[in-house]
Amino acid sequence: MSHIHIPDGVLPIWLWGTGWVVALIALTIASRVSEREAVRRKVPLLGVVSALVLVAMSTEIVPIAYHVNLTVVAGAILGPWMSIISAFVVQVILALLGHGGVTVIGLNTIQTATEMILGWMLFRTLVRVLGRPRVRWAAAITTVLTLIVTTTMLVGLVALAGAGPAAIRDTGALNPATLRFGNPLDGGVVNIGLFAGGHEHAEETDEHDHEAEADHEAEADSSLSVTRFASVVYTLGPIGWLLEALITAGVLGYVARVRPSLVFEGGMAQTESPHYGDEHGGH
Amino acid sequence: MDITAVDSAAVLGTSRLHKASAAAKVAAFTLVLTTVVVTSDVFVLFSALALLVSLAVGMRLPLRRMLPLALYPAVFAAVFAFASAPSVLSAVLIIGKAVTAALGGVILMFATPYPQVFAIVQRFVPGIVGDALLMTYRSLFLLAEKLTNLTTAVKLRSGLAAGQPVRAFRATTRSLGGLLLYSLDLSQREYDVLRLRGYEGRLRVRAIPSADRAMDRAVVVGAAGLLAITIIVRTMPDALGAYTWIFATLTILTLLVTAITRWRKS
Repeated sequence: MSHIHIPDGVLPIWLWGTGWVVALIALTIASRVSEREAVRRKVPLLGVVSALVLVAMSTEIVPIAYHVNLTVVAGAILGPWMSIISAFVVQVILALLGHGGVTVIGLNTIQTATEMILGWMLFRTLVRVLGRPRVRWAAAITTVLTLIVTTTMLVGLVALAGAGPAAIRDTGALNPATLRFGNPLDGGVVNIGLFAGGHEHAEETDEHDHEAEADHEAEADSSLSVTRFASVVYTLGPIGWLLEALITAGVLGYVARVRPSLVFEGGMAQTESPHYGDEHGGH
Repeated sequence: MDITAVDSAAVLGTSRLHKASAAAKVAAFTLVLTTVVVTSDVFVLFSALALLVSLAVGMRLPLRRMLPLALYPAVFAAVFAFASAPSVLSAVLIIGKAVTAALGGVILMFATPYPQVFAIVQRFVPGIVGDALLMTYRSLFLLAEKLTNLTTAVKLRSGLAAGQPVRAFRATTRSLGGLLLYSLDLSQREYDVLRLRGYEGRLRVRAIPSADRAMDRAVVVGAAGLLAITIIVRTMPDALGAYTWIFATLTILTLLVTAITRWRKS
């Protein structure tokens, strides 16, 4: 659950607006910290790791609406500050390619960055506790724990959204109860109130009471169903968590065997490439 | 996600939309997106969708390549709608919003080279973020191609056949592991290039001026008109909500006329 597959215009403005504000503040701080040193090395590293996450995300498992994320892998390589930048970059590109909403980029950045940072923290801790030979176990446990946290964050967001009035929908000529289209000209244009201003004043008080009751009922009926959403997510989620954990464990295990410094010290710990003609150390 | 198709359509396209400035297209996309956010009427939403499809057809954009990308979020939106929507209508609205917003974004990216779009984003984000955006998009092509090659190589080497999920899974993780190592080597090479060229913390992208100012105005005015209608309907749902089907019918007719005109000319 590295990001929210909720389209634009479903969550209330205050929620995604807050997401943007929080994400931009985090992004500004992360950028300032990252720009302090070795920017030339960080920019390409950020680029390739973000691209790797995007490539992984393009392989989806349609029946459970899940795709591989590799966010824990990215977190382990990038560390916490660059993870925030990478999360934002990934979400901007995904949104421009139609995968995920533009308004929810802020929330998605928070979600993805949380996954990467939590992944980085847990992975480091577990490697220390379990030892380097059990890197696969550390990666798998980290992934499952991280995904449980971010999935719960997602359910929390829907709970926040579902409680708001943004879930109310106008239906125009379509009756949502019967799913039938009514003829708007049935009662004449004047009665609809387009030109005459609606009903007679004497009827207004009673009608307003009825309308208020109806509105309250409609609001209650039209709220996003958090319970149903949570049950679906927590039912399908574990399949995705398991797949992601296995893939992350496989990838990090493989890389730990081939190039251990990359996994245990991060992407910035790479040795500088030798200058041409100086491949053997200049002697 | 066929990134190569997006890029070649954006760079090699010759339609009037391609000639419009990136700023105008981004502004129009923002207005369409606001429409998607503001509307809660299915007819207004599908009118916006029909207008976007008309634009793509009218400008001869590669609709066959665009539609899968635009419909992709519908899969996830459908799961979300199934899981949380209170009614069928709300579910249709959620999926419709996902597809309409995605199509808007896909049209923008199919008609505008990515550096031009990112140049606009760069103005609003810290330097390292803007540069990382450009680097990511560039690396995306290289890694996507590399993953395809690696997967083929690993499959051939391990002699995979259907019905071997465990071996296939191992092959996939090995491919991804190989891709990760390749990525890090790639980043090292890119670092060398940046160092050689004297990178000092900012990749500059020169904005290409508009080659069709009339089109600039047309896309912005069209999108603004759509948003204006949406806001009016939203603010007066009792009075106008019942007539939005007329707007939807008109936009579908527009789409049909555009499609027939294009078909006759081709």
